[in-house]
Amino acid sequence: MEASELELFRRGIRHATETCGDEALDAALDELGWRDALVADRNTAVSLLFEAQGSTVVDSSALDWLLAAALGGQDGGRTSVVLPLLRRAAPPGRVSAGRCEVHGLGTRTVARADETVVVAEADGGPVAFTVKASSLELRPVRGLDPALGIVEVTGDLNAAAGRPVDWEAAASVGQLAVGHELVGLARAMLELARQHALDRVQFGRPISSFQAIRHRLAESLVAVEAADGLLAAAWEDPSPVMAAMAKGLAGRSARAVARHAQQVLAGIGFTTEHPLHRYVRRTIVIDQLLGASSVLTRQLGEDVLERGTLPPTLPL
Amino acid sequence: MELDAFKVAVDAWLDEHERELACDYEGVGTLDQQVAQLRKVMGMAYAAGFMRMGWPERAGGLGGSNLLRAYLGEVLTARDLVEAGIYSLPEVLAPTMIDYAPEALAAEMVPKLLSGDEIWCQGFSEPGTGSNLGSLACRATHTDAGWRINGQKVWTSLAQYAQRCVLLTRTGTPESAHRGITAMFIDMDSPGITVRPIESMHGAEEFCEVFYDDVVVPLDRVLGEVDGGWSIAMDLLPYERSTALWHRASYLHRRLGQLVSAAPAGTLDPTAVGEATQLLWAFRARSRATQRRLAAGETLGSETSIDKVLVATAEQAIFDLVAEGLGPDVATGDDPVSARWRAEFLYSRAATIYGGSAEIQRNIIARRLLGLGDDR
Ligand SMILES: Cc1cc2nc3c(=O)[nH]c(=O)nc-3n(C[C@H](O)[C@H](O)[C@H](O)COP(=O)(O)OP(=O)(O)OC[C@H]3O[C@@H](n4cnc5c(N)ncnc54)[C@H](O)[C@@H]3O)c2cc1C
Repeated sequence: MEASELELFRRGIRHATETCGDEALDAALDELGWRDALVADRNTAVSLLFEAQGSTVVDSSALDWLLAAALGGQDGGRTSVVLPLLRRAAPPGRVSAGRCEVHGLGTRTVARADETVVVAEADGGPVAFTVKASSLELRPVRGLDPALGIVEVTGDLNAAAGRPVDWEAAASVGQLAVGHELVGLARAMLELARQHALDRVQFGRPISSFQAIRHRLAESLVAVEAADGLLAAAWEDPSPVMAAMAKGLAGRSARAVARHAQQVLAGIGFTTEHPLHRYVRRTIVIDQLLGASSVLTRQLGEDVLERGTLPPTLPL
Repeated sequence: MELDAFKVAVDAWLDEHERELACDYEGVGTLDQQVAQLRKVMGMAYAAGFMRMGWPERAGGLGGSNLLRAYLGEVLTARDLVEAGIYSLPEVLAPTMIDYAPEALAAEMVPKLLSGDEIWCQGFSEPGTGSNLGSLACRATHTDAGWRINGQKVWTSLAQYAQRCVLLTRTGTPESAHRGITAMFIDMDSPGITVRPIESMHGAEEFCEVFYDDVVVPLDRVLGEVDGGWSIAMDLLPYERSTALWHRASYLHRRLGQLVSAAPAGTLDPTAVGEATQLLWAFRARSRATQRRLAAGETLGSETSIDKVLVATAEQAIFDLVAEGLGPDVATGDDPVSARWRAEFLYSRAATIYGGSAEIQRNIIARRLLGLGDDR
């Protein structure tokens, strides 16, 4: 994208996420040409939108579209895609003896779309099935973050007609997308805490003058920038290892910022009248989407120890 | 020369001269050996032209982007030919000379530093002045014969080897704080300078006390403006947190790689290894972006404090793992390889102290990057 075009796009995305609710955001994204941008410049389309979604705690069908497109769907990425259960990054289905057993999660798009893509582990590698939404059982989940509108998906499908897909590649871009959303959440929580620190007066001075508060906020900025920098690097070298590493760090960073922001905001941040709780809820749920930070971090360490070598370095 | 061509040329040269460039000692070596090795490698790289690339022509360089310097230090460190900390000293000191010394002085002196002919040191800290640099007391008085210096510095790294020193002095009243500081370029063989090496915890005489008794410094050795030393120190700090840190990451990468292949099975917590790896990669990503901004002509500032916090955190995380996975070697190994792990583990404890402590970096981030105002 050219600089002027990029700026327009950026502003469009920001405006859409700030003004649209979850339902209206899909239409606004279509109007902005987000899906064309996804084809032309995936890095920009994904990083801008998902960070903006995080900073406003809104949600769209973009993750489904992104995964569907990465799985090579024929519909221009219109369908929804069944996600792994929380913590996990492996495909949500398993093929054996001619049947495909499905147990995963869906965004609210799954409930809306006519068709959905299920990826399953099979003997010859992952395969995808495009099925009618009505052939799956959907249980709406309330849980920690009811606003997210996720559903638990189960099913037992006929396993004929699966097409081979590169699930790892699709999951990797999904991880980068969720990583950017976590960075957006973390930046927004830091900003809520920063503003509160400047406004709130105790002992006759703004609490922003207390070093314990300042260092928590400084620590938060370091965490956010570390995650953001690693995500940017992962786009330059898009490998499953880098994507998982970047998402793992983004999740850890967002959780750390959530902790600091909660402490700085204290009583007011513990109420549902203050927006912080929505960010904290979203952080803890989406950190676990496509691989929880704890799992990804441990997995990275196990791989490194098992091989006795580090992942490829970032060249200058 | 472009970065890619430079990489190819440097790599080929390093392969070709592998034997002559190699260390002639095993393990950590003495500081004398490390300094001798450094001078040898810098001298050869200078003669081959590589050490001059990325430095401006007016200071004896061959021009080109800072990325060339970043790569050279990275690869020399990755191949374990130089100790990253002392190799990177020119990254801190040469930019100050180039930006603030009289042009002829910079043109005369910088090549001596880059070629390894000379070692320079940085005289900032004093017994009463650590983090609060604005309180320094080492006095410089204007006389017809030149500036007369009286006072004491401490923690001056490599002063016992140094031919020159970039010294911060008090030229204003004691109350003038950061407004009354002047930077000077000192010959370490000037009469009146006494250097007393101090043994540091990791077993080397890494830094020194330096006493200045009626030391006379020619008037034209002032760097920048009289009473303008504070801004020089502030301009220098972002350099201290850019290319030098990229070199450091290369060292950390090598050591983490060696650790995960050397640590006995079951001694390391995979989660801690994953965390340290993420941190080091995040630092490299960030530092690379800093290098690119520098190459694009941007001025670096307080945002490099984030780089510094990250690299220090990564270094300590990695060496905390060393103390786990190779704990017995660190604690009781008396062979050269163990002694080196031990020395480097101990040195890592200083990563949050030198170059502005971790707390001072967080103060800068809070004030300058988060706009939190005064801490009073
Ligand atoms: C290996 C090594 C090499 C060095 N090389 C050089 C060199 O070549 N030249 C040179 O000039 N100096 C050098 N130094 C000195 C270094 O710059 C100082 O040690 C550093 O600035 C800290 O000063 P200090 O040790 O006096 O600690 P202090 O400033 O006394 O700090 C003590 C503790 O208090 C904390 N603290 C201080 N002020 C604040 C504050 N405002 N808010 C919160 N916490 C605070 C610090 O973070 C630290 O934890 C070197 C130091 C080391 C360890």
